[in-house]
Amino acid sequence: MRLRILTTSLVVSLLGMLEAGCGTSVQSVPNPPQVAFLPQTFQPPENCLPCHQRQYNELHSAVKSGYRNVSPLFNGLESAGNLVNGGLLRPVYSDSTVVLPDGTLLNTNMYTTPILKETRQVQAGFCFTCHNANIEVLGNNPNNREVPQLAGLATCNPAPPAGQQCFQPQAFRPLRDYVMVDANGNQLLPPVPGGDPPSGAQPSLGAAGITCDFCHDEAGPDLNRSFQMDGFANTSLLLNQTILKTGPFSDPVAVKNNFHVANRNPSDIAFLTNGSFCNTCHDVRVPNRNLTAEEHNMNPGGQNVSYFRLENLSTEWQIGPYNGTNNPFGHLVRCQDCHMSLFPYAGTSTYQVGDMTVTSPTPGVFATDYAAVPGVATADNAPLQQRQVVEHYFTGVDVPLMSPTELSARLGPNYPDPYGMGIDTHGVPNGLATRRQDLMMAAARISLGKTDATTQLGQTFTVRLEAVSLTGHRLPAGFSQERTVYVQLAVTDANGFLLYQSGYVVDKPHPNTGEPASDGNLDDEDLEHLHAVVDPGSFTATYTSGTGTNGGNNVVFEAGPDDGPDARIFEGAQEGLVLFRNELTHIFLPGQAIGRIDAATGKPVLAQGVHFEETFQAALANTVDNFRSLQPLHPRTYNYEIQLPTMQQLQAIGVTVQGPLHVHAQINFEHFPPLFMRFIAGVTGATGPTGHSLNLMDEQRIDTYLKNVKGIASDDFTVNLTP
Amino acid sequence: MKLPYRFPILIVVGLAVLLVSVFAQSGGYTPGEFQSSNPNYPKPNPFYFEGKIDWNLLNITTPSNAWEYLQRGMHYQDDMDDVPDATTDYQTSLSMNSLQNQTCQIVTAATLVNGNIPTSLTPAPCMFTVRLRLGYLQRETNPSSAIELFQEVLQIDPQRLGVNTLIAETYVIEAQQSTDPTTQQQAYANAVAAYQAELALSPVTAQFTALTADTANNSKVHWELAQVYEATGQNSLAASELQAYLQATQWHSDVYPWRIALAQNQIHTLAAKK
Repeated sequence: MRLRILTTSLVVSLLGMLEAGCGTSVQSVPNPPQVAFLPQTFQPPENCLPCHQRQYNELHSAVKSGYRNVSPLFNGLESAGNLVNGGLLRPVYSDSTVVLPDGTLLNTNMYTTPILKETRQVQAGFCFTCHNANIEVLGNNPNNREVPQLAGLATCNPAPPAGQQCFQPQAFRPLRDYVMVDANGNQLLPPVPGGDPPSGAQPSLGAAGITCDFCHDEAGPDLNRSFQMDGFANTSLLLNQTILKTGPFSDPVAVKNNFHVANRNPSDIAFLTNGSFCNTCHDVRVPNRNLTAEEHNMNPGGQNVSYFRLENLSTEWQIGPYNGTNNPFGHLVRCQDCHMSLFPYAGTSTYQVGDMTVTSPTPGVFATDYAAVPGVATADNAPLQQRQVVEHYFTGVDVPLMSPTELSARLGPNYPDPYGMGIDTHGVPNGLATRRQDLMMAAARISLGKTDATTQLGQTFTVRLEAVSLTGHRLPAGFSQERTVYVQLAVTDANGFLLYQSGYVVDKPHPNTGEPASDGNLDDEDLEHLHAVVDPGSFTATYTSGTGTNGGNNVVFEAGPDDGPDARIFEGAQEGLVLFRNELTHIFLPGQAIGRIDAATGKPVLAQGVHFEETFQAALANTVDNFRSLQPLHPRTYNYEIQLPTMQQLQAIGVTVQGPLHVHAQINFEHFPPLFMRFIAGVTGATGPTGHSLNLMDEQRIDTYLKNVKGIASDDFTVNLTP
Repeated sequence: MKLPYRFPILIVVGLAVLLVSVFAQSGGYTPGEFQSSNPNYPKPNPFYFEGKIDWNLLNITTPSNAWEYLQRGMHYQDDMDDVPDATTDYQTSLSMNSLQNQTCQIVTAATLVNGNIPTSLTPAPCMFTVRLRLGYLQRETNPSSAIELFQEVLQIDPQRLGVNTLIAETYVIEAQQSTDPTTQQQAYANAVAAYQAELALSPVTAQFTALTADTANNSKVHWELAQVYEATGQNSLAASELQAYLQATQWHSDVYPWRIALAQNQIHTLAAKK
């Protein structure tokens, strides 16, 4: 009998494996059973510190831990989204009494909903879930709740139903208001929404964001909550709240006093140490109909939830060359190999990509060290051995847009200085800004080698710029519709006379955010392919959802002199800015207001046809172009057809051009487009839809902390000038 | 009593372990199965994806519809420098997405249902990229065809930036290619009208100046318009456009910065001609 059962099980398992390996259909997969370990509430990272000091210190400086929760930009984005839809992005909990239009109760959020069947379930805690899933789960208990459910989600104009309150923007607080407690652990709110931290404020449990427990409590992917049932995106991750902690080692040493149990399950360990683990969060799929690409939740009952892809990083890695052997290293290169290793500080490799020979840092080299503090961490003081260990810096493209003083006020006095100097025991720089700069310098390479060798005055010649991304995903990735990578190119004569420029910026006033005159700072200037100002909205006594008074549309939108991105893609032109930034697009339908006012009539300008326009407010996007970024290990050539002035034109301005000409090109990284940050400043400012300042962003913050990385890669070429 | 069961059990378990090892992927754990549809191939809903997708990611062997021919055409043009094959693909794409043979439609308010777009449209919406791409390639060789294509784009989206400028530039090409003064004069007049239509899409208003500190915009259009006026002997208008060009470049410079000095010089020269 037992044999029959086993044989049957084996056959079923084999069939299952065959289907998983060869089939293309995806079946609903039940969540794995929870392991019955002793419960343990979500631990603050400080509790892990005594035994894992190094890992604690490293994670402490990662933007996903701590900073993200108080980030003026993240908080501003989340606020802007809520202000346009009446707070729908805030979490709801199990005691919610919100009733959806179809009569069903909305009492689960993006994390706690077993299968996402309603768009409102995905919206509920949309930003908060990814950055603080554990705290959202704890929030089902009102005593542990940090971020409250907003009264009157969405709008209820013209009048609220009996007994209900409408969304009140004047009472709206940014998320970071909720991550402070007093010495007794009681929540402390700033006296006014968005105000400074109150006296005695300490970081709450949720202030730590992605903590030790978030990753090491993992219990595998949550296939049922991932839209394609593949464990991708939107925190499709099962979390234990038990003493079972998963690490990378199959032979862990027993933990002192059984503070936790080290997981020996090979499947859990393999998951944690694979890119699949990162995939659960590093695709972000926004619940909104995509008018150019039909995608919806394929889980049973989930068909009504359609979405577009905001962050597509995990998909890019999954189907890219590093997730396999067809890359210069001949083996799988995981997320961990660049973002949790000694990369880019562990030597270089030289290899061929297309016709480009590239020298770049080597991924997947790890330090040898103790995984826990010897003499402290183990039961019976069992000896530890040194092993290959991972770094917990998770360095990416972000640095805090806050001063060390501001960070300490919200995240505790020991918060590391992002601009700190020195190196750690593994030789890795302590300062996040330095690590980010060094990571970016490894991201791409360019060549001008195929540029025309000779030209003449009055003629056109072609600069050919070949660019390749060396990243495991596209470049830029993540919030790739705002993260900006571009080519700065200049052609000068032998005396330095500037004949052509692209990817340049000009110091100018920004009266909309209080910079009345140019200030000598170029990092706060937008590229010249597009001139846009985004409507910051304004306060009205009666709230109405939508863009009418809540901002988000472009009130200025015009082509600039360096209009390369659109011209290159849509017209096939060979001129203007080479921009690798992806684009969020709002498709306006005929008759819809596009956000500008006709100066002659004073009436809103309506779309006369189907009007595609870049949007900087993600909540308004109904399509996205994620293919403007550079594909990894796939060199692309961009031509610049450059018109030289005639001899007569030069004589008219009293210039003699002397050959040879010099072409210089470099790739730069812009943290965020300044116009996007100015939108965040406006929409969260005192004159924005809340009617009070959320104290998140202003011109001074932009000027002080928006620091771009220049010269990620560069090349030079000489062009002979013939008579 | 238990022996008869133990050996088969061990064999089965051993076999299972062996097979699991064989089937296990070298990369480690794989949750679920990555989506079966190509995430890089957008399924129209209801508009086509107007953009360029890396050809190698589309997994298309032979194009089978208007959008696929457009994608391959862009690949030929941009990645292979193969303009003839690109042109052929654009023409094939256009034949499958044509107003003339009613394989595409201009979406209007009447197409919408309660102000919303249906999940699919029959015929499909007209694409603008293929028209812009083909028109751009035909500007020198067949300007009238290029202008027709650009005008179809304006039917799709009258407010799309840059299309009127393309029309204007093509009229200028037509004027320069013509030896007939009447044709030249008409082409230049058409170019002026198209340039002015472009400027009208981005009006300089008090709000615009308050937000940007700019007193003019569209420097490229002003520059090119000035050249047209100068070519047609309308020096006062040319000087005026050059002045607007200088205003528009005040905070934005130009990709050809020497034009700024040249514009200043031209203004003086034109003034001297009065």
